Amino acid sequence: MTVALRDDRVIVLAGRCGVDDAEALQRHLLIAPDSTIEWSTCEQLHAAVLQVLLVAKPRIEGVPSSLFLSAHVAPLVRRPAS
Amino acid sequence: MDEFLAQFLIESRELAGEAVDDLLELEKNPGNRERFDDVFRAFHTLKGGAGIVEFKAMQEALHSAEDVLAAARAGATSVSPSDIGNCLACLDQIDEWLDTIESTGALPSDADAGALVARFGRSTAEERTAARASGADRSWIAKLLAARGAAAQRAQTAIRYRPTAESFFRHEDPLERVAALPGLLAVDVEPRAPWPPLEELDPYSCNLTITALCACAPAEAVAALGGAIAECEVEPAQAAPPAAAAPKLAARADELLAAQLHVLAETGEEAPAARIASAGRVAANVLRHTGRHADAERIAAVTQEAAARAAPEELRRALAALLEGGADAAAVATTERQSAQREQTLRVAAPRVDTLVRLTSELTVAKNAIGHAVKLAEDQGSPLTATLKQRHEALDRLVGELQRSVLTLRVLPLRAAFQRFPRLVREMAADLHKPVTLVLEGEHTEADKTIVELIGEPLVHVLRNAMDHGIEDEATRAAAGKPTVATIRLRALREGDHVVIEVIDDGRGIDVARVREIASERKVAAAEALESMSDPEVIDLIFAPGLSTAKAVTALSGRGVGLDAVRTAVKRLGGQVAVSRSGPGGTTVRLTLPFSVMMTEVMTVEAGGQPFGIPLEAVVETLRIPVTDVFAVGSAQAIVLRGRTVPLVDLAQSLGTAAAPLGGDSTLVVIAELDGDVGALKVDRVGERMAIMLQPPGGLLAGLPGIAGYTLRGDGSVLLLLDLEELLR
Repeated sequence: MTVALRDDRVIVLAGRCGVDDAEALQRHLLIAPDSTIEWSTCEQLHAAVLQVLLVAKPRIEGVPSSLFLSAHVAPLVRRPAS
Repeated sequence: MDEFLAQFLIESRELAGEAVDDLLELEKNPGNRERFDDVFRAFHTLKGGAGIVEFKAMQEALHSAEDVLAAARAGATSVSPSDIGNCLACLDQIDEWLDTIESTGALPSDADAGALVARFGRSTAEERTAARASGADRSWIAKLLAARGAAAQRAQTAIRYRPTAESFFRHEDPLERVAALPGLLAVDVEPRAPWPPLEELDPYSCNLTITALCACAPAEAVAALGGAIAECEVEPAQAAPPAAAAPKLAARADELLAAQLHVLAETGEEAPAARIASAGRVAANVLRHTGRHADAERIAAVTQEAAARAAPEELRRALAALLEGGADAAAVATTERQSAQREQTLRVAAPRVDTLVRLTSELTVAKNAIGHAVKLAEDQGSPLTATLKQRHEALDRLVGELQRSVLTLRVLPLRAAFQRFPRLVREMAADLHKPVTLVLEGEHTEADKTIVELIGEPLVHVLRNAMDHGIEDEATRAAAGKPTVATIRLRALREGDHVVIEVIDDGRGIDVARVREIASERKVAAAEALESMSDPEVIDLIFAPGLSTAKAVTALSGRGVGLDAVRTAVKRLGGQVAVSRSGPGGTTVRLTLPFSVMMTEVMTVEAGGQPFGIPLEAVVETLRIPVTDVFAVGSAQAIVLRGRTVPLVDLAQSLGTAAAPLGGDSTLVVIAELDGDVGALKVDRVGERMAIMLQPPGGLLAGLPGIAGYTLRGDGSVLLLLDLEELLR
């Protein structure tokens, strides 16, 4: 399980988040829209999951260990709502 | 192989080689029109050649390559990175076919250009779609660059990736593709269609347009994008430099005009009016063909007038003015130099050159024999001595010059060995996901043909070692504050009688402590010896057999290409290899090779009544030692030299000639050193030093142990050159 719910309000993205995790994440975010995403142990993020993050614009915490995610993806999903 | 095919093979190899060079250059500088034309010409000529020998598959492959190039030329667009990749693939295939022809002497019967043709076809189709979609729109690049100020400065390539909506179902992860781009600097993501609210979002339908900037060449990005390339636009990030303004006059045209000036200056037998008319006509034609119609008309008018009055001065002035104002001097100079270079190159089959080298060496022998004869004449008090001496000196000088010139015939630029490395490194970089720039320096440095031909293999090992184990991955480099794109410099230079080739990387460098550890673990050297070793000495251990640097230094799963193989290969060429640290991080591997492998300085010795040569560079000293100093170690003998036990080799005995009895109470030894191994060679007599042209042992000599080669001496006797490596082992 790479998408997990912690304490009702924190969604943890861990390890390699594959294409199948997109739907789970979407479901979690629909149920609890003001959840915080914790992704410091996330190693890989599928573009499908990214789409969910881009649309839902949840609060995101942590710095992923992957250089690509922390340097290039984090700024995209942390963008203030336009 | 029939002569046609042989010629075709030579020419095709040459053209394919040139085309690869040109393509790689074009990749760096897509706006370079001249290179583009060179590529086009090379493909066209290759195709022509294939037609002559009726090699259909090659014709087809080249034809589709030519189509793509022609389309780019007609569109006045720069050639795209994927085109370059395809053209390179095409040349690779052709190279393979040529290999087959070379080994079988016939056209490959199973050659099929289908895959290549399809590849080119697809690429043109893709580009058409891409062009239509973007409307040749480059504004996204400008936008991307503007948004990323700092990254933009280092960006070489801009990528716009628009995966289709279904791409996730093809197990495609666009984000992973982008993450794999070498030298990634910046990424941006936009929705293709406006995002729906979260509850309506279909996360499995891709709605992303990803743009990215990379610090790698466009073709590298194309390689990294792999199968996704059909959905990508890959463009050089910096606007292509404007094509150089066409020279006001082509250099050739200038030459022709200048030639007319000479014609006018001549006072031949031809009537002046006729000469003026003909010169003027040529000049006007030249101008018309270079598009300078106004000038052409003016010259025609001046010609008419000058011819009528038989006064060449006016026409001369007009032509001189055109020449002065007309040509871009620098451009003309380069073109002239280039054309001069081309004209001065002769293609000669290598065996012919070798024959010449052999003949020259025999001539040297004959000259030395005359030297003997002169000496004989002198001893007998012949009245001809003075004349003979004089003539012999002249001959000596001439033969010496001949020898030097002939040796330069065997010389090739190292470029021939280096030219495959840019591609090799590019491929390795893609395989290992380590973006690397290979910088070639001094590839025009010349070296003996044998060296140029044989140095490639060891250099591949060195480069692979650097890529595999020296260069860190991108993340490590970034963490260490290094540029993520690593640099490997391959440098060649001439140092006196040697050619030096260096491979310098800016990787992590050699971990000396770790080498020490491994060396003692694997018993490559004794613990106490290791302790007393200096750092450079320890570093040198990575060449020792049994200590694979791969596992030892970096603990990476190495391919196990030991650097000891490199040292062995370089040594066989008469060279040396050393490794050192370069700068704060990084490693320099330095190969020092003799400029010419044919000439060897030797010292002659005599043992068992036979003369032998010892490579002079190995000789440390010659000594006369008392017989009592020789003691037996098992079945062998040794002497003590300054507190050190040195094995004694009885040359006559080990080479199978009769062992001379230990006459008198002392014996003559030559102390020789090879890679730190010191040995004493027992000899009867020490002779002169001489430079010889070494012949590899052949025929009956081939099986002789301890013999590296031979040469003929002035008196016609054979001088055998000792193989110290074998003798001292």
